[in-house]
Amino acid sequence: MAVPRARILDLMKAQCRIFNTTYNPERLRMGNKVLRQRLRGPAMTEYYPPRTSTIKKLREKYPGWHLVDEREDERFENIKIAKARGKGAPKKKRTAEESKKNSKRKPGQAAS
Amino acid sequence: MSQFRAKTLDIGCFVNKWIIRDHTKRKVFKENEPERQALRYIIRNTTLPQRVRAQAQLQLSQMHCYTRPSQIKNRCIMGGKGRGIVTDFRMGRFQFRMNALAGNLPGVRKASW
Repeated sequence: MAVPRARILDLMKAQCRIFNTTYNPERLRMGNKVLRQRLRGPAMTEYYPPRTSTIKKLREKYPGWHLVDEREDERFENIKIAKARGKGAPKKKRTAEESKKNSKRKPGQAAS
Repeated sequence: MSQFRAKTLDIGCFVNKWIIRDHTKRKVFKENEPERQALRYIIRNTTLPQRVRAQAQLQLSQMHCYTRPSQIKNRCIMGGKGRGIVTDFRMGRFQFRMNALAGNLPGVRKASW
């Protein structure tokens, strides 16, 4: 028994209403599949594990506590030793003239 | 691209430049995903005027390459390798083997029958 098309369309309409989809009897490409897709970004950004508590963050949270950062202390000690031997980093140049003085080449000299 | 990169390190696994780059891409993609999806919807909707769709196409293709999901690649979180990654464990195949044999991965056993 053939079912009239109008009746089938009515059924489709009801179906769309119930399941909350778009009524599209001509089957036009409306791009709704893009809207149906879930966002992948939140899952993708969780691929690499986040950085957990660092000494710096712990200090911010518990300001009264004495927390030892061994690597940082070691770094400071190494700097102190290097400075004592005269091998420390040069002082920061604050102005343009100061920095130019050292880098300026004399006119007769060729670049080595 | 340095304009997207986090100012301080925000991942706790093995770190090298490729991992930092990939993580940056992931974050940029997450930020721009709704915009990309909106443009993709306009492009795929045949009921909209052709001019609008062409403009959307242009706009989508002119977005920064870091906003593209195809730029993202799973890398090994233990050694940063880009090939031979066991996706479920986010590790390269050799790292996976070492960790599995050492018993660091719950539920993973060496097959034997």
